[in-house]
Amino acid sequence: MQQTSIGRSTRRVDAIAKASGHTQYIADYTFDGMIYAKMVRSTVPRGKILDISIPVLPSGYSFISAKDIPEGGKNQLHMIKTDYTCFADGEVRFIGETIGLVVGPDRGVLQDLVDQVKVTYEEGEYAVTIEDGLACKGGAFVGEDNCFCDFTINKGDVDEIFAGSDRVFEEEINTGWQEHVHLETNGAIAMPEGDKFVIHVSAQCPFYVRKSIASLINRPYEDIIVRQSVTGGAFGGKEHFPDVLAGPLLVAAYVTGKPVQLIFDRHEDSAYSVKRHPSRTRFRTAVDKDGNITAMDVDVVYNAGGYESCSYVVLQRGVFHATGVYNIPNSRVRGRAVATNTFPSDAFRGFGAPQTLFAVETHLAHIATQLGIDPFELKKRHFLKKGDVTVTNGHIYETVVLPEMAQQVLDESGYLEKAKTYAPGSLRGVGISFYNHGGAFTGNGEQMIIKARVRLRKNSDDTVDILIGSTEMGQGFQTALTKIVADELGIGLERVRYPQPDTSVVSDSGPTVASRSTMIVGAIAQRSAARLREQWVEGKELVVEEEYTHPEGFPWDQSTFQGDAYIGYGWGACVIEVEVDPLTTEVNTKGIWSSHDVGLAIDELIVHGQINGGIAQSLGYAAMEKLDFSAKTGFKQTGLSDYIIPTSMDFPSQVCTLVDNPYEFGPHGAKGMGELVFNGASAAYIDAVSRAIGKEIRSIPVPPEILMEMM
Amino acid sequence: MIDEIRFTLNNSEVAITCDPLKRLLDVLREDFGLFGTKEACGEGECGACSVLMNGRLITTCMVPVGAVKGKEIMTIEGLRETERGKTIIEAFADGGAVQCGFCIPGMVVAAESLLSRNAKPTEDEIRLGIAGNLCRCTGYDLIVESIKLASERGEGLW
Amino acid sequence: MVETSYIPQTLEEALRIRKETGAKPLAGGTDLMVMHRRGTGVVPSFPWPVMIISSLEELKYIRREGDDIVIGSGTTCHAIEDDPSVPYAVRTAASLMGAESLRNLATIGGNVCNASPKADLPVPLIMMDAKVTLVSATGSRTLLLDEFITGPKETDLKDDELLLEVRIPLPEKDYSHVWYRKIGTRKANAISKLSLSAAVTLDADGFIKDFRSANGASGPKVARSTEVEKILEGKNVTEIPSVLEQFLDAYDAILSPHAMPTYRRLSTRRMLAHFLTEVASGTQNMIVT
Ligand SMILES: Cc1cc2nc3c(=O)[nH]c(=O)nc-3n(C[C@H](O)[C@H](O)[C@H](O)COP(=O)(O)OP(=O)(O)OC[C@H]3O[C@@H](n4cnc5c(N)ncnc54)[C@H](O)[C@@H]3O)c2cc1C
Ligand code: FES
Ligand code: FES
Repeated sequence: MQQTSIGRSTRRVDAIAKASGHTQYIADYTFDGMIYAKMVRSTVPRGKILDISIPVLPSGYSFISAKDIPEGGKNQLHMIKTDYTCFADGEVRFIGETIGLVVGPDRGVLQDLVDQVKVTYEEGEYAVTIEDGLACKGGAFVGEDNCFCDFTINKGDVDEIFAGSDRVFEEEINTGWQEHVHLETNGAIAMPEGDKFVIHVSAQCPFYVRKSIASLINRPYEDIIVRQSVTGGAFGGKEHFPDVLAGPLLVAAYVTGKPVQLIFDRHEDSAYSVKRHPSRTRFRTAVDKDGNITAMDVDVVYNAGGYESCSYVVLQRGVFHATGVYNIPNSRVRGRAVATNTFPSDAFRGFGAPQTLFAVETHLAHIATQLGIDPFELKKRHFLKKGDVTVTNGHIYETVVLPEMAQQVLDESGYLEKAKTYAPGSLRGVGISFYNHGGAFTGNGEQMIIKARVRLRKNSDDTVDILIGSTEMGQGFQTALTKIVADELGIGLERVRYPQPDTSVVSDSGPTVASRSTMIVGAIAQRSAARLREQWVEGKELVVEEEYTHPEGFPWDQSTFQGDAYIGYGWGACVIEVEVDPLTTEVNTKGIWSSHDVGLAIDELIVHGQINGGIAQSLGYAAMEKLDFSAKTGFKQTGLSDYIIPTSMDFPSQVCTLVDNPYEFGPHGAKGMGELVFNGASAAYIDAVSRAIGKEIRSIPVPPEILMEMM
Repeated sequence: MIDEIRFTLNNSEVAITCDPLKRLLDVLREDFGLFGTKEACGEGECGACSVLMNGRLITTCMVPVGAVKGKEIMTIEGLRETERGKTIIEAFADGGAVQCGFCIPGMVVAAESLLSRNAKPTEDEIRLGIAGNLCRCTGYDLIVESIKLASERGEGLW
Repeated sequence: MVETSYIPQTLEEALRIRKETGAKPLAGGTDLMVMHRRGTGVVPSFPWPVMIISSLEELKYIRREGDDIVIGSGTTCHAIEDDPSVPYAVRTAASLMGAESLRNLATIGGNVCNASPKADLPVPLIMMDAKVTLVSATGSRTLLLDEFITGPKETDLKDDELLLEVRIPLPEKDYSHVWYRKIGTRKANAISKLSLSAAVTLDADGFIKDFRSANGASGPKVARSTEVEKILEGKNVTEIPSVLEQFLDAYDAILSPHAMPTYRRLSTRRMLAHFLTEVASGTQNMIVT
């Protein structure tokens, strides 16, 4: 048996092909007879469609819309709910809603035709902000209160504590929209194949796409074959959103019988795609005379936009992370996802957790400052530890190594010394944050909804194919899983292949979301490989398939949200140091230190890359990624020239450390980490900037012009 | 207007008859099938469409093909055949620079442009050299490290 | 839509085409190709005929003529940034535009003729009283750049003219102190939110012989006022503290930013105050940061 590659850094299986430009992405595909599609979208935030006037179409061109859905088909996309319509029919809820596709052979002609389509609306008053939505501006369009969902969880007795508490701190924290900016824009091709249809798509979840669109043409799932193209970044933006392309394309392929390609340009991808939910989190926090937090009453509202999509689930995660990594003896958290006339909000790395984690970290830092102690002091007093009761009255089963992680970042950054020397308002500051991320689906989702399966096929040449629906989108899963399987089989990496998923060939290992792939799918794959090893006969073809099994002893009640919301957590600690320019209030980040507990890293270099990327995105979220609503274009910033993401010059090299804390149920002790690494840097950054300017910051992002106004 | 435009593409003489205002990016991808040059913004902001023109880094989404008449264009497909290109690509693979990969061919071209001007760049010089190439996955650190690695391994190549 | 384009091989040919067809020049294309793009696989569409002038070697030069530095309109920002004979503020402004790949394409002619209020090069150029020379098939004329740019995205370019060159008069005596700072939307590869260029010449006794400053992204065009500059001229550096507020208030009045007014005004004020305070402190550094 050869030496194990687990833990060590390995050259990624996809690296050379990608770096040398050999890898084909969706925009690089061509098929005989392929035609192109351009979207016709709504141009008003809210209204009734009175008329759609189509120019005279040259031969070979057609306009595809709701009218083309065949008998028995349903004009809907089945995400988690079925409220998202495929083609707007009758009413529009936001700018950029799909009205139809113009399809045909020449993209120039298509662009001209799209420009000539005229839609007339009876425009209605519209809601943009959370406040607008809650006030039902223009009249509620979801239920009676515009809330897609509204629920509360309780731990202990909050009201009793508040009644007798020494000090109460009240605060509201807001976060804005964030655009994914996966460097590859959204794209898909739909085409007939025999009596079925094939969707080639840049997507995270091929099985989601199939489920979402099959009912449009009234076919069983199996008639829709989804083949994932190599995906140039996703971050949640390609979890449900690919359905919005694939649905109309499927109808177009059905009508024309041709391969139809739709690739968004950057402008479309920025203006007309899902975003991270803007949030408003209100805290009432009781502190006793010793400076200990005794109760927290939290009200979380997420701006869900025009359709629910996965907002309910995103909100659940936000609510379950609302008291951070702290054991707060009494807590009440209410969560609402409110409908507004903005582009639907959806999954984005962290899936609802980053908003509330940012809020609670920022709130605690402010409380500490008002109590006259260092934020770190206050935070560490309340660190969750093994056996503690969570906000959902479940338990922490794992050893929490936050104290060790804190020590690491403190030592490396010189935090304590700096926190003392840099006076508030001195234009220099350090900030600190702690965070976690519940691994895999919330509650019993893995067991009740997903039921992941992994199939391995041993070929007669003694190579092995991993046949699953989990996808590579840049995060390194293809390599990590290949390593797990090869290691278990005791064969070289080159003998294990992990082809791009094709839903007609692979088993459904669940969506590639929720940091679940390594932790959940990896464990099943390891088990499958162990079984394959037992049955291994040289030269013989063999197939093994294993299913998810839920570990014993994690009770959860989905109707009351009580019990163990997660079966394990990743943990993080981050310190950031900044200097604010006295003339221009530009912020110079001087240092970034982080420590993460990901159980065990299957590949250190991959984990390192995830940490760097997640932290950079998180810093962009706090510092520069401003996205405003516009009644003309949906969003004011519609491209990379005005939606500003970090360049190589914006932040210095990071110092990252990992702690070993093997996780019982993960492969080799690994647990999820792809989202964790996003969850904390924004709060540490804002803490540092707040201290540097000597003012409390309660809303992100904060470009220099906002800082200047605050000072 | 339709015009015949001749230029050197990856060391071969080529000619194309088309509207001179067609973007070089589209010509490379659609007329020459060179898909390694990517489009991620179409407005000069991201560097995914980077190639070398007469040895200098340019973004092809902003260049009309008429402007490359008589010029030498080197794309990732040409670069990967050279010792320097191979060195950079291998260093990117070993250094963990590659995640989703969409920005990477452009980064490799930018690295070549940088190293050809400055064979031993400092970290700051590397960061400046790739400042026009956006990457959303890596946070840049491992790309910077990988370029350093290429510069060390490729001693004498540049 | 007119789909005509030309690729002239000489300046003479370019001027003839310009006169006969009114074709608009496309130099680096970094403004034009972006403004008129129509997506992947679609040829950008221009409402007028275009001539690609990027290969006209006749327009690419940087040379000294008497007391002027003369830069051909086809010179790229990269060439400007690399040439030590170009005055500091102009060179620095060029070096901070976009990124490497942009600077290899973008020309000074395009930057000036595009006349964006956020353009970087006009700021130090106008501060230095740069002139532009325009040529047509029938003649040429030279005027101040500040007069050539008439408003946001508007110039005095005639239908038959091309910009030949930009002429920067060198100060009689080198500036004692210069300032250039660009505040972008991020640390690199960014359009200016604000830029400020300033320079001062002191005589041996510390009297201000010459003071000048100009702002970008602070109004419809580059903001500069020789009237306001006079407040400082003739004063001794020791008097700076006493006239500073008066000067800053007067300077503030020439700014008319259409967005983020507080930020743009306050940053300008702080930067000018900083620059002048450094000058007053007797710093020996010519380049103030
Ligand atoms: C990603 C990106 C980043 C950018 N960053 C910056 C920045 O940091 N700072 C900044 O100032 N600008 C920036 N720009 C804008 C642009 O690059 C500059 O304005 C550039 O200098 C334009 O030069 P060009 O040669 O590309 O112009 P072109 O696009 O070729 O032309 C621009 C205009 O000038 C006219 N023109 C060009 N040459 C002549 C001539 N000889 N005679 C008469 N008219 C002429 C054209 O007809 C056109 O109207 C950026 C643009 C992009 C796409
Ligand atoms: S596609 Fe050309 S720079 Fe982004
Ligand atoms: S590796 Fe994905 S954008 Fe750079």
